[in-house]
Amino acid sequence: LNPGAVSPPVPGPCSSTPGAAARAALRRRYLRSLAAMRGLPVSFALHERVRVGAVVAAADAAPLAFQVDALRTPLGLQAAALLRCADIIAYAFEL
Amino acid sequence: MNDWQKKSPLDWETYVNKRVKVAAAEKNEYEGWVLTVDPVSANVVLANFPENERVSIVVVLGHAVQEVDVLQEADDDMKARLSCIFAPEESKAYSP
Repeated sequence: LNPGAVSPPVPGPCSSTPGAAARAALRRRYLRSLAAMRGLPVSFALHERVRVGAVVAAADAAPLAFQVDALRTPLGLQAAALLRCADIIAYAFEL
Repeated sequence: MNDWQKKSPLDWETYVNKRVKVAAAEKNEYEGWVLTVDPVSANVVLANFPENERVSIVVVLGHAVQEVDVLQEADDDMKARLSCIFAPEESKAYSP
């Protein structure tokens, strides 16, 4: 570590470049889609053609995983589960 | 990281309000109007209108996207319809 070194300014997410504005608008809409799906039945298409259904309770910010309730799997019903996004190809719900 | 995930927010923005066909992993295909692309995960949010009152949302995860083809551009009516799908309640427009 060199405490005397001054790091160059890094443009933050609030900078007013066109790219930052586009990023903010796209992200805002995506976060609203996450909020809209909370409490709704959602069907997930996983790898290996596995389809499961669940009620989405929460997602982390990235998102890296969904916390779901009443997960219907080919092996039975799970009261609560975490679905990793890396295992999901797509998910669908209706408004 | 695939080609889709490497795009910039300005690239993804060009797909908003377009009807697209998304080719995804394991030969899955999805079609719909692009509402947004999450700049963090590159997830694509698609909307369809199977019935008048219902909106069907499909989200294809960025890591699974292989190709995105633009099929059609939205007209003004469709743009207005798409813009209010996830709008907060207080900003929704109501007819008189």
